[in-house]
Amino acid sequence: MSKLLKTVSVINTVDTSHEDMIHDAQMDYYGTRLATCSSDRSVKIFDVKNGGQILVADLRGHEGPVWQVAWAHPMYGNILASCSYDRKVIIWKEENGTWDKMYEYTGHDSSVNSVCWGPYDFGLFLACGSSDGAISVLTCSGDGHWDIKKINNAHTIGCNAVSWAPAVVPGSLIEQPTGQKPNYIKRFVSGGCDNLVKLWKEEDGQWKEDQKLEAHSDWVRDVGWAPSIGLPTSTIASCSRDGRVFIWTCDDPAGNTWTAKLLHKFNDAVWHVSWSITGKILAVSGGDNKVTLWKESVDGQWACISDVNKGQGAVTSITDSQQNEQ
Amino acid sequence: MKLKEINRTALQAWSPAQQHPIYLAAGTSAQQLDATFSTSASLEIFELDLADPTLAMKSCGSVSSPHRYHKLVWGPHGIEDQSLPSGVLIAGGENGDIILYDASKIIAGDSEVIIAQSEKHTGPVRALDVNSFQTNLVASGGNESEIYIWDLNSFSSPMTPGPKTQPLEDISCVAWNRQVQHILASASPSGKASVWDLRKNDLIIKVSDHSNRMHCSGLAWNPEVATQLVLASEDDRMPVIQMWDLRFATSPLKVLESHTRGVLAIAWSEADPELLLSCGKDNRILCWNPNTAEVLYELPTSTQWCFDIQWCPRNPAVLSAAAFDGHISIYSIMGGSNDHATTLQAEQLSSSFGNIDPFGTGKMLPPLQLPQTAPSQSTVTPLKKPPKWIRRPVGASFAFGGKLVTLDNIKPAAQQPQQTAAHVVHISQVVTETDFLDRSNRLQATLTAGNFLEYCQNKTEAAQSEFEKTVWSFLKVNFEEDARGKYLELLGYKKEELALKITSALEQNCKSDEADVVEKKSPVEEEAEAPATETSDLDEVPFEDEEPVVEETSNTEVTPAPSSDAIKLKVSQDIDGLITQALLIGDYEAAVNLCLHDNRMADSIILAIAGGPELLAKTQKKYFTKTQSKISKLISAVVMKDCLDILETCDLQNWKEALAAVMTYAKPEEFSSLCGLLGSRLEAAEDAALQAQACLCYICAGTVEQLVAYWAKAQDSSSPLALQELVEKVVVLQRAVLRAQGGVSDMGALLAEKMNQYASLLASQGSLQTAISYLPTNTQQVSVQQLRDRLSRALGQQQQQPGAAGTGTLPAAVPVQTYTQPQPPQVPAQPAAPPQYYQQVESTAPAFGLQSPVSASVPASTPFMYSQQYQRPQNGWNDPPTLNRAHKKKKIPENFTPPAPITAPIMAPLGDPQGPAGQTMQTLQSQQQGPDQPVGPATFSPIQQQPLGPPGRNPNMPQGNMEGAPGAPIGDLIKPLQSIPTEKITKKPIPEEHMVLKTTFEGLIQKCLAAASDPQTKRKLDDAHKRLEYLYDKLREQTLSPAIVGGLHNMARSIECRCYTDGLNIHTHIVSSSNFSETSAFMPVLKVVLTQANKLGV
Repeated sequence: MSKLLKTVSVINTVDTSHEDMIHDAQMDYYGTRLATCSSDRSVKIFDVKNGGQILVADLRGHEGPVWQVAWAHPMYGNILASCSYDRKVIIWKEENGTWDKMYEYTGHDSSVNSVCWGPYDFGLFLACGSSDGAISVLTCSGDGHWDIKKINNAHTIGCNAVSWAPAVVPGSLIEQPTGQKPNYIKRFVSGGCDNLVKLWKEEDGQWKEDQKLEAHSDWVRDVGWAPSIGLPTSTIASCSRDGRVFIWTCDDPAGNTWTAKLLHKFNDAVWHVSWSITGKILAVSGGDNKVTLWKESVDGQWACISDVNKGQGAVTSITDSQQNEQ
Repeated sequence: MKLKEINRTALQAWSPAQQHPIYLAAGTSAQQLDATFSTSASLEIFELDLADPTLAMKSCGSVSSPHRYHKLVWGPHGIEDQSLPSGVLIAGGENGDIILYDASKIIAGDSEVIIAQSEKHTGPVRALDVNSFQTNLVASGGNESEIYIWDLNSFSSPMTPGPKTQPLEDISCVAWNRQVQHILASASPSGKASVWDLRKNDLIIKVSDHSNRMHCSGLAWNPEVATQLVLASEDDRMPVIQMWDLRFATSPLKVLESHTRGVLAIAWSEADPELLLSCGKDNRILCWNPNTAEVLYELPTSTQWCFDIQWCPRNPAVLSAAAFDGHISIYSIMGGSNDHATTLQAEQLSSSFGNIDPFGTGKMLPPLQLPQTAPSQSTVTPLKKPPKWIRRPVGASFAFGGKLVTLDNIKPAAQQPQQTAAHVVHISQVVTETDFLDRSNRLQATLTAGNFLEYCQNKTEAAQSEFEKTVWSFLKVNFEEDARGKYLELLGYKKEELALKITSALEQNCKSDEADVVEKKSPVEEEAEAPATETSDLDEVPFEDEEPVVEETSNTEVTPAPSSDAIKLKVSQDIDGLITQALLIGDYEAAVNLCLHDNRMADSIILAIAGGPELLAKTQKKYFTKTQSKISKLISAVVMKDCLDILETCDLQNWKEALAAVMTYAKPEEFSSLCGLLGSRLEAAEDAALQAQACLCYICAGTVEQLVAYWAKAQDSSSPLALQELVEKVVVLQRAVLRAQGGVSDMGALLAEKMNQYASLLASQGSLQTAISYLPTNTQQVSVQQLRDRLSRALGQQQQQPGAAGTGTLPAAVPVQTYTQPQPPQVPAQPAAPPQYYQQVESTAPAFGLQSPVSASVPASTPFMYSQQYQRPQNGWNDPPTLNRAHKKKKIPENFTPPAPITAPIMAPLGDPQGPAGQTMQTLQSQQQGPDQPVGPATFSPIQQQPLGPPGRNPNMPQGNMEGAPGAPIGDLIKPLQSIPTEKITKKPIPEEHMVLKTTFEGLIQKCLAAASDPQTKRKLDDAHKRLEYLYDKLREQTLSPAIVGGLHNMARSIECRCYTDGLNIHTHIVSSSNFSETSAFMPVLKVVLTQANKLGV
């Protein structure tokens, strides 16, 4: 087989018909559905299986721009969380093919900027970061009731992003033969307008600040806790208005010693980081409208492996490998 | 919400956007009303530390000044070239002076902080602005229409923007255009604004509404639209903000009317041009959208006027307001609650006073009463419109299958405003491992086409290293005819040459003297021995130590000491005479005995041939017993068809020769296990080069699982290409095994794990279909099932029922690769340690008896451990044991037996009545007890007899399936193999202090076994029992860290007191705090045991 594989090739372009700026687009667990949200206050769900783009749902309920959407693990059903400038978090659920509000959380005083579901192994729970500086953790108790825990003043002027630690505790990648839950301490990372990256952990049912990571000199726009790939290292990416992206790593099991490595200093603010499912590639979205992909080399240096030129490549550039699979 | 507060009545200037951390400079205002400060002035710098939750701002430095200030700005000049690391503070004074301060020096506490100073202006300098394009340019405005342009690089000689406006009036504001760097605007209390073009050095336009009520207190350019500016009016009769566009300068574009009294200051956000702040004499601070004239937000403020308001250039949500009530307040525009900060502030205050008795008055302070603020006040609603800086315009997120979802908010092109903005999402395939995919595709193609020969050939040719080349050559042989012959060739032995050599050697033997027979080495053996002597110091070959003893003993044996029975027969005559007599009466046996006694080996063998097969066999037996030496081993092995001995005792440097011997002589059914055994020994070797050869043995053996295990251990298979490399080999070998045996082999746990990794890697590159084809179908591994489900759903397939063929439901009769080692046809020697021997017999788990507490001096088996380990996972580690574990006496190989006179022939007489003249040494075969079948790439029917013949003869090598073959060796035959190495390799004892661990864990398992009712649990426990060997090995080697050992002892203690939950907690602690590789072999097992113990309540 010839080597015609491009690093990044567009295989599907979905015209969302949103009437204003799109702020987030997330695929579900299987990669067959796409959820988008926009300043037009709507959340849309598309079926994108096999290169299609069928609008499945147009969810109305927010009264302000919707910043982020997040899919829950399918073992809890088809559930989507959205957060908005209207200070609300809405949890949507599909029942019998129809999407409806499952729960609406109005406990924040300002824009809710980020939502992230925790590892499914430990229940259905969601972290929300808000411009009011607080972070809420909503936990579904199973009977439709949601338990709320709020961390006030987590980030002065506002929390911009939250991301959960993966379920697999680094260094204990051991098959749980009896299907038991390991002693997982719930942890997440947040980034905020105080230029800080903070780590939080639950102790005796209370959320406590575990670590405060300082390296950014401007708002931390996004944080991403890398999926565990079985190595005894925790990895977090953070990006900031200061144009810097840092990779934080921690080798000690207690999670106390974090070291920062500068991935790159961009010329523009960096808005978003996203880890690939296998945790090896980091996608960085910058204010210059560019997306770059980064990979750690063997010697621990991060190298840019690709610029994603949006809109190029079109639908025709299906790679050989995919043709093979058809 | 209010973030910070400074108790000063002062002008303020934020540090420039480039500066980090953020500072706020406060300079004593000339307008200040506080009489106590009237005589002195100061310039102070505070740091904005948002991580500090209190309202306090840390003062970083201050200078006292003879001047009070009318205007203070902070420019970034000098930051870039670090000449002024924190930029320059520019102050406009009462007396017409302009002072430049080095901000970094103020922060550093330096005394010389003034860079330059000028008294060019004739009156108070009320207006200052720094050019945002050329930060060295500063505009200033004073009385009498004085406007100067200062170059900070040559401060002494300012320029003017043009001729002074007439009539002369005060300049209250100056502002540089935000888009065009040579445009400057100025405004005066009279309400008139002038726009200057510095290139033309002239006034270009005057802006005025002719109402004469505008009293300009503020002037600001639109950050985005070059031609727009706003003017704020201080006049209470006209408390408005006018927005002008210079293109339509006849009347204001918009008038922002909401203040009820005069506007004192305005500030236009750089970060969001739709945000304009204003503060007025009506005590209000408003945030406007100047484009719509809508008030977006009103800050909760004090009851005092704010006379100055500023956006923080670096932190767009932060603003500061200076009020006449003596405070500078820092606010966030984003809303939020004030409660927390207020509480903290109060706490801090009370703590600094001391709660009990701060003034030593003997009176306690009353409890602090926090004013209960109404919720409406403490919670501030955010801006009506989201500020630009939180509207994320971009985003790229990964999704399953290496997909990348990117946002694309396409703005309409400026030329075609009618074109609506498109908001699309791109889904892209990200392929990062192109080489990997390429190779995966090639492998796929091969699998489909089945042209493995070609594939292996290509791989061989493309191999980067000699070793790789060899590995692929070996793999290739699996797909050729006459595999063993080809293997031999690869090992460097041509059958024909070998046959020739050996034939000639035999001829020599026949001709040589009797005494020579013992000493003479066959060419092959010589070849084999040669390197052995060179490397005999290798300590991984423990039996080497025994060799001299054996030889010595055998030497004494072969000395012609009178043997009792021979002596009884004929005492008085000489040997020759006796032989003659015996021959004369046709008593071959007696003659042979005499010859043997007299060390006439050749004579004895010749006579024995004449005497018939039975006698020959006996004679051979005796011969080998007498000639206990290195030399005899190969011959013995060849004659007896017992390669095991060679494999176990040969110097590992001679692995090639040993393997060659197996190729030639091993019976089909034992071929695989023998190769595997050699591989295990090699793998256990300390020499890395030798270890690597193990995989060749595994390839010959066709033991996929062992190959994987070795590879996973020896090679880093985490990188995609390394994983691909492994999978290529494994898949090819699997196919070879499949081809040889025609069945579907099960995937072991380790292989399943590797395949899962491989599939997940393929998935991450978008090859979902290929990925799913590699996933094992018969595993209960949760991760595999999850990946399968995810892949099939992603592919739009119906969700498959995972685990249908799971291990839990596997019938016990699943074909499994077993060692089919026939029992050596030797006298079972008394084991060195009888207690151990019996324990072995009693143990249900063959692996287990190897280490008994008393076996400190008993050699244990490292190779065995490996072979056992890798054998088991064929069906998954918790499968029902497929080996027959009937109690059976174990046979101990000859070479370990202390040399002793032979008292009885021990050859098993069953098996081959049709054998050619009884020349075949028949292996002892036990009755078939189960459906277990030996499998392997080259399995042979046991009916095929291996004639004794010259050693060079090529054995028949049909490729057949063992299934149903009568008399096929079965599981229980594995026992000798398992037990033998116990004797061979010395294992260190478990340190005394750790024996308690073993005793405790064993005891617990036994208890559980006794209590367990269902077979599955028993199997698990059995397996756990075996796998705990890893722990004991580690204890022996004392390689575990003290923390882990300590933890284990704690666990043991909690087991003793039956606190299994505690034990599990300790377990979790150990696991979470230890290195994975250190504990992964046994910790999961302990967990299983503890969990079971807990469940069973033993």
